[in-house]
Amino acid sequence: MARLLEAISKELLTSYGIATPKFRVATTPEEVAEIVACWRCPVVVKAHIPVGRRGKAGAVRFATSPQEAADCAKKLLGATVRHFPVTSVLVEERIAIGQECYASISVDASKRSIVAMVSTAGGVDIEEIAAKQGKLCTLTIEPFRGLRAFEARQLWVEAGCSGSLLRPLTEALTRLYQLFVGVDATIVEVNPLALNCERQSLAVGALIGVDDNALYRHPELADKVEPGSDRAWRPLTEREKQAIAVDRADPYRGTARYTEMDGGDIGFLCGGGGGSLLMFDALCRLGGAPANYSEVGGNPTEPKVFGVTRVIASKPGVKGLLVCINITNNTQTDVVAAGVVQALRDLNIDPTRFPTVVRLAGLNESVAARICAEAGIEYYGDDITMEDAARRIVERVRQTYLGLAVTQHV
Amino acid sequence: MAILVDASTKILIQGITGREASMVVRHSLGYGTRIAAGVTPGKWGEEIHGVPVYDTVRQACVAHELNTTVIYVPPAFAYDAVMEALACDMKLILIMTERIPQQDVAKFLYAARESGCTIVGPNSVGIISPGERVKVGAIGGDNPSRCFVPGEVGVISRSGGMTAECAWMVKRAGSGVSTCVSVGGDALIGSTPKEILARFEVDPSTKAVVLWGEPGTNLEEDVAAFIATGGFTKPLIGYVGGQFVENLPEGTVFGHAASIIQAGHGKPSNKISQLEAAGALMARTFNELIPLLQSALGASNAPQVET
Repeated sequence: MARLLEAISKELLTSYGIATPKFRVATTPEEVAEIVACWRCPVVVKAHIPVGRRGKAGAVRFATSPQEAADCAKKLLGATVRHFPVTSVLVEERIAIGQECYASISVDASKRSIVAMVSTAGGVDIEEIAAKQGKLCTLTIEPFRGLRAFEARQLWVEAGCSGSLLRPLTEALTRLYQLFVGVDATIVEVNPLALNCERQSLAVGALIGVDDNALYRHPELADKVEPGSDRAWRPLTEREKQAIAVDRADPYRGTARYTEMDGGDIGFLCGGGGGSLLMFDALCRLGGAPANYSEVGGNPTEPKVFGVTRVIASKPGVKGLLVCINITNNTQTDVVAAGVVQALRDLNIDPTRFPTVVRLAGLNESVAARICAEAGIEYYGDDITMEDAARRIVERVRQTYLGLAVTQHV
Repeated sequence: MAILVDASTKILIQGITGREASMVVRHSLGYGTRIAAGVTPGKWGEEIHGVPVYDTVRQACVAHELNTTVIYVPPAFAYDAVMEALACDMKLILIMTERIPQQDVAKFLYAARESGCTIVGPNSVGIISPGERVKVGAIGGDNPSRCFVPGEVGVISRSGGMTAECAWMVKRAGSGVSTCVSVGGDALIGSTPKEILARFEVDPSTKAVVLWGEPGTNLEEDVAAFIATGGFTKPLIGYVGGQFVENLPEGTVFGHAASIIQAGHGKPSNKISQLEAAGALMARTFNELIPLLQSALGASNAPQVET
């Protein structure tokens, strides 16, 4: 899932007929002061970053004058909130709210369906709403039929709505569903969905996540989504962007993913999705410090393995390289080995001095073994377990850099 | 005996002329698995390693008796391929394709439930029943017997690669496998570990099951509840990977698309403690699977003494 920035989410909501308070994005306190001077109304100034719970992080501030708003912006701009540097703020009209509700459409994995959820207790975290029994009403949507207006109405009635609230809330929910389908969202959440004094519904807080895998049919979202952003908890680093470029250069064969860790000294080239989890756990338990997380799988091409290995080994502070994939089903281990050897050569790394351990078993492994042997790389097939390979690289790195005595065999 | 696939399974491959699919056909035939037919629109009359190719599933069904299909088509065409298979009454649909749009998956899973068809995947690496020499999908590659030898242990895994590695650990423990099922690494999947476990419960050839779990979803928690309520009574030996994810900021995907801790849900530590409380034997390290398997199988193989 790729989480959209609030301004983009609100533009989408508006285009589907769901009103929002007026807003602008600004990058300097002066700009913020100008906007507020022009609007002449109380405002909310928010850090414009793709993370939730900004209020609890102090990144949502209120102001009544241009000067006050500029001060808020000054405090936010340049700060780092939940690992994201704030480079712009969203200035929004602060509206007089009659009632705060909650509405969302999302994919529910345990129900294996799309669900609509509503509550008349909005404005707080969904977990808090859910904790109050009977406050959160859920409807499983039949995907071919979609959400019909009467179903949306029934849901709001179930949640305790009546009178003049019912019509605007029903309309808002059916439009949210249209938006959800229209952009291939994984979640569309409006919280609070506020009703102003004129009983109009307004999307005050908005979160939209879109499906990375459906972007091919949404060219309109192309410049609004950063692919791979769900695989880091902060903005992507340069090396992560390089790895994404490597992966996307050949989108139809194999996967290579890379997430950088703070610090660490063991370059980590593991796979697939499950095997890499196992290896990272094993390294940590054995006292090793992975410099990155990665996964390669699905029979990647040699340029893909070369590219991602190059990214991994080029991170400053990397003192050794572990290559370990579960016994492969369809991944050609010789291709992986060739890509690794080529990357080390390209970086002028001598694997007889730079601790390198390869455990590659599966398709074409005799060729993989020969490629590694010729390059002077410590190679294992299925003569050792994956965790044994993790132990081996930790030992090699210690041996090489600390000169500690360790056992010679695994 | 096995679950899901056995020697009587009549297999179709949709997208058979693709590079991966044709390699899988070669490996499967080499293993002794019979593949009846394949489909790639526009390629009627071709053969892939001797397997006839048709334009539509309907054509293939007219010419052959079929009950199982393997989806190997690219993500943008997967929805249509699955719907076509459902329209032709396939009983089991195995989806290998990765990165299918989630709303497409929600639709075909719904349609499959309505028509009583079992879907395994998407993003599965396949199913193998070595005692029957049947493998469906890439599972086992060119040398299935390296990891998958006949025996009495079932394997359920959210990771395709770890399906093989788990089976290999079973082999190292001196045993073998009845059926291994890669359920797929996506958030929306057709068959959950709990549902596969229910099949292993009634399979007389399965004496114990190995489960590979991961962060995110409620799949392992559902298994724990299933065991606790008596739904599964054989030994379950499990490992949950990705414990390091708990030490990193929430909401980040590590590994498969479904492997994400959100709002405190999906932590490996909770999965492990719930499974353990339900009576599962949880390995602290992956290597520990071997002694746990040996003791579980030793116990279940021991002659029953009446008291």
